[in-house]
Amino acid sequence: MTRYLIRRLVYLIPIWLGISFVAFSLANLTPGDPARLMLQRDLGRQPTAEEVSSVRDTMHLDDPFILRYVRWLENAVTGDLGTSYRTGEPVLSGLAQRFPSTLQIAGLGLALAIVIALPLGIMAALWRNSAIDHLSRVLALLGASMPSYWVAYLLILLFAVKLNMLPVAGKGGWQHLILPSVTLGLGACASLMRLTRSEMLEVLGQDYIRTSRAKGLASWAVVVRHGLRNALIPVTTVVGMRFAGLLGGAVIVETIFAWPGIGKFVLDSIFDRDYPVIQGFVVFMGTIFLLVNLVVDMSYAWLDPRIRLSR
Amino acid sequence: MERYQDALRVPVSRRRFLWLTGITAGVVSSGLLAACGSDDDGETPPSTGSDATPTTGASTGGDATATPGDTADTTPAAEAPTSPSGEGEGAPGGELIVAATQDGYRTEPNRANVGQYPLNTNIFETLVRLTPDYQVEPVLAESWEFVEPNTWRFLLREGVTFHDGTPFTAEAVQWSMGRIAAVGGGQLGVDETSVEIVDDFTVAITPSRTNLRVIQQISHPSNSIVAPDTEPAEIRVGTGPFMEVEYLPEDRYVVEANPDYWGDAPQLSQITFRFIPDPTTRVLALQSGEVDLVVEVPRESARDLTSMDGLSLVTSKVGAYEALYVNIHGEEPYDLGQEKAVREAVAYGIDKDSIVNGVWQGNAEISNTMIPPAILGDAGDIITGTTFDPDRARQILEDAGWVEGSGGVREKDGRQLKLTMIVGFPNAEIHTPMPEFVQAQLADIGIEMDIVQTPDTAIYEARLQTGEGDLWAEAGSQNDGNPCFLPDLLFYSPDPEGDPESMAYGNAFAPGAAFDAHIDDCRAAVTTEEVQDAAAEAMKVLVDDEFVVIPLAGTFRLYGVSAKVQGFEAHPSGVNQRWASVSVDEG
Amino acid sequence: MRDATVSGEGLARAGVNADQGAWRNQRVVFLQRFLKDWTAVVGMTIVALFALVAIAAPVVAPQDPTQVNASAILAPSSSEHWLGADNLGRDILSRLIHGARWSLGTAFVATTLVVVIGITVGLIAGFFGGLVDDILMRIVDVLLAFPSLVLALAIVGMLGPSLRNVMIGMVAVWWVDYARVIRGLTVSLRDREYITSAHCIGCPSHHIIFRHLLPNVIPSVIVLATLELGAMMLAISGLSFLGLGAQPPTPEWGAMLNNGRPFFQSAPQLMIYPGLAITIAVIGFNLVGDSLRDVLDPRMKK
Repeated sequence: MTRYLIRRLVYLIPIWLGISFVAFSLANLTPGDPARLMLQRDLGRQPTAEEVSSVRDTMHLDDPFILRYVRWLENAVTGDLGTSYRTGEPVLSGLAQRFPSTLQIAGLGLALAIVIALPLGIMAALWRNSAIDHLSRVLALLGASMPSYWVAYLLILLFAVKLNMLPVAGKGGWQHLILPSVTLGLGACASLMRLTRSEMLEVLGQDYIRTSRAKGLASWAVVVRHGLRNALIPVTTVVGMRFAGLLGGAVIVETIFAWPGIGKFVLDSIFDRDYPVIQGFVVFMGTIFLLVNLVVDMSYAWLDPRIRLSR
Repeated sequence: MERYQDALRVPVSRRRFLWLTGITAGVVSSGLLAACGSDDDGETPPSTGSDATPTTGASTGGDATATPGDTADTTPAAEAPTSPSGEGEGAPGGELIVAATQDGYRTEPNRANVGQYPLNTNIFETLVRLTPDYQVEPVLAESWEFVEPNTWRFLLREGVTFHDGTPFTAEAVQWSMGRIAAVGGGQLGVDETSVEIVDDFTVAITPSRTNLRVIQQISHPSNSIVAPDTEPAEIRVGTGPFMEVEYLPEDRYVVEANPDYWGDAPQLSQITFRFIPDPTTRVLALQSGEVDLVVEVPRESARDLTSMDGLSLVTSKVGAYEALYVNIHGEEPYDLGQEKAVREAVAYGIDKDSIVNGVWQGNAEISNTMIPPAILGDAGDIITGTTFDPDRARQILEDAGWVEGSGGVREKDGRQLKLTMIVGFPNAEIHTPMPEFVQAQLADIGIEMDIVQTPDTAIYEARLQTGEGDLWAEAGSQNDGNPCFLPDLLFYSPDPEGDPESMAYGNAFAPGAAFDAHIDDCRAAVTTEEVQDAAAEAMKVLVDDEFVVIPLAGTFRLYGVSAKVQGFEAHPSGVNQRWASVSVDEG
Repeated sequence: MRDATVSGEGLARAGVNADQGAWRNQRVVFLQRFLKDWTAVVGMTIVALFALVAIAAPVVAPQDPTQVNASAILAPSSSEHWLGADNLGRDILSRLIHGARWSLGTAFVATTLVVVIGITVGLIAGFFGGLVDDILMRIVDVLLAFPSLVLALAIVGMLGPSLRNVMIGMVAVWWVDYARVIRGLTVSLRDREYITSAHCIGCPSHHIIFRHLLPNVIPSVIVLATLELGAMMLAISGLSFLGLGAQPPTPEWGAMLNNGRPFFQSAPQLMIYPGLAITIAVIGFNLVGDSLRDVLDPRMKK
């Protein structure tokens, strides 16, 4: 297992370099000359050509792309992702400070999705074409088709305004977590449900399950001992991917629910043309995603010994 | 009495100095003052206009130990500065939860204004402050006087302590002004040597340039007095009726009553300010009972609030305004505003009445100037403004050579008539949906308009500095009782030697010599009528002659308040809002 | 959000099963099976209806979608405004109808671009293999290392908010899934006998790609694309909702929802109808996609 972990970690290095390269290249998409933009912000007027060229010199903007990338990378590796134009704080600490909030709703959202999706998916597979199967299909379809930002307002209207059960927005007690998490988890729940169902169906159709059943093992025992474990392998992958997706998708939910997380921070930065933050966001989220994938891989290997042995 | 007479002489010299220094004073402070532009008001009676303002408190200066009550003979500024309820030591009770707009604090050392501006949590106090009627009243300074040529002497309140127990003395004033001096001196124009400690409770402030507006400017919460050797970026130690419990950036700011407050004790035991940038979410939070009071209820949906049980709409006096400024000095592609016909057509192409009564549901008033009528007086009658006349607008464009092109957009010499409107001062939400309405109306006369929304003041100003935009939507207002203050501040030709960061408005909008002459008159005027006339003439240049300013409406603040909140008085200047007199009836 | 990996895996298997010629022979069978599925019919009907409305928008819409009218502000349903009017007095029905053009159109264009890029890269990587394959797949690996919305957000952030930039952002991120699936299919097909023999008898590469590989890859792609059209629409309108996409006065559905937020209690028509429009359209795409997948992936139909 340890050797497998090390192998995965080594594999992650080139991918991470790729992520950093993408992030760095993105900054070159910005319209206009970065030196001019920076001067405009600092001076508050159109800078002269001499000023621009002198700043280009000090920023080494005329160096070859690769050279600039390596220079930037050196800083990035040490955690220096630059400074926010807007708040003046280091980008990394700005992101890291807000990340736990996002993690909270994404984590709870995913947990809710799993708690609902797994049992429903399994039941739908066990009793195909039953009422519960149809119900799960409808739920999955709606979950995958309704815009989360629309659902958010419907939920607010129902639970916060009409029933007065939950708070509308902001951060506070556990109650504040519920609506954002539910909104965020909805899409994930739908796809997990479908996936669990189809994977269970496949596993249930396998010879060994049929054999076990034929041997007279209780059907629940079969499902739990054999079916679930095998069906869970692909589900785990998707859970991991979903989790990263939730982290990325939190921007909409955070905006609606005034949740002080990383997505809201980045959205403000986008409107502010705060390029270092946007760039830092890419590196940060890319790194998080890699780590999530690593965890997924490890649990995958744990669930399925063939994987860690074969590679 | 000698001081009193000095004070009487002030108006004459003041205008002289303003004439000499107004350029820098106005321009250097434009960023900051504009930032507070939407907060202050012109409700001050005309008689206290430019003439009276510098002397407001000076009249009390004859008695160094005067209590605020003693000043009643000269100005209405004499009321007890806090808690009119006067319940004294009554046990504080009640917790108030306020939904504020976005967290707009700066956190760089020296520039940090946490707890002060734009959300004033009443942790800090200033030397003097503005009443809801726009009079200057004493707070940490009991009285003040102007000493020619350029010095303001403040006699400080004794027996005041900071929240950490440090006594409030002249040293605190020096420290606080030193912070401002360290970052350029702000609108006050102070430098390291400006503050002289005369004795423990007397300071003399001499700005590095002549500035007779000190007494009004120093009332701005950004000039709050912080405890010596403390930096609000790190820790907030003030003298105010409330003390900090916790500040969680972009989330909440919790303050509690200061048991040792020198003035009347606050009624509330605690206030939680929650930062909720989205106005819809704010109102919803009020409706669900999560918060007790919301700021900046959207104009277009404020009516809904009045139909909800247990909620009411509280408005302040009119003072603010909504206007478009046209960039007349822009570089391509933002140079179309240079052509007067284009500006004139835009002015005639906008239906103000529909904006005020339709789009904003009557939560504003039609206005032809930026200066509220209360302060401009009848003099404002000379400004005719423009009334909606799309045919005339089309004709103006036609005559200027802008002919119908493809897709209904007018063209001249192969160039399309496309303008960009920048919306974001002090935030984008406060303007909605006016920009889209204007967009549709301009499309009607053959002008295509893009809308760019900036989320906050900083990015708006960054854009203004680089002149990237044609039409600039601003919700701002008078900063003091001087009718000329705003036109002077925003439109006087910039001094090329001045601080570049602060020339943004002049660089984009200054109409030039004809306008400047009126402002010069204004600065030299003796009587209130003269000042009003000059201000009206200046405004007329902006609105009627040059079409640099297209006023849309006079506006007021809208608060949504739950029935259990009592004693809330909406200050027309949001940053001067006071909370000490508010109470919550939990019953 | 998208389901690409899930469906992708299934499709890869489905595609492998669809051997040369098999697809053509089975086409009729597929069609029959597809039409027997009532969900497919419902889905197709929805999609066709929305597409028709989008195409005929200027004819169908009763009013100009950008015409403001101060006297009709927030008007409820009436004979003049069937679905009421918005906060600027614009006819909501007309805006929805024109909005179909923007919302469906952008999703369609973006998905088409995604498919074209994905197929091209996938075929090249799969067919040529070796270094080309390695390089392309490392790029894919890196791009897959981002939650899709993150990179799209960043691209929009760098280029500035606009509908065009949102589409660029989405396309730049989403093609990788297709490239991976198509590459997988191509690799598995490449070593089939008929391809190998085509090589041997001297057929040029482009001939093999266009005559043999592409036809085998297309059905899988259609399914994936249909499935993703709905997800793409949700993503684009979501960014518009945030103010990053369609700019006023464009009647894009996400932007309309954003515009209606202050009134969602007092004048719910501003939010209800655009939300319903998005939901129904996405349901349509998802139904069609699901049915196509069921038909093409034998694993699902037992």
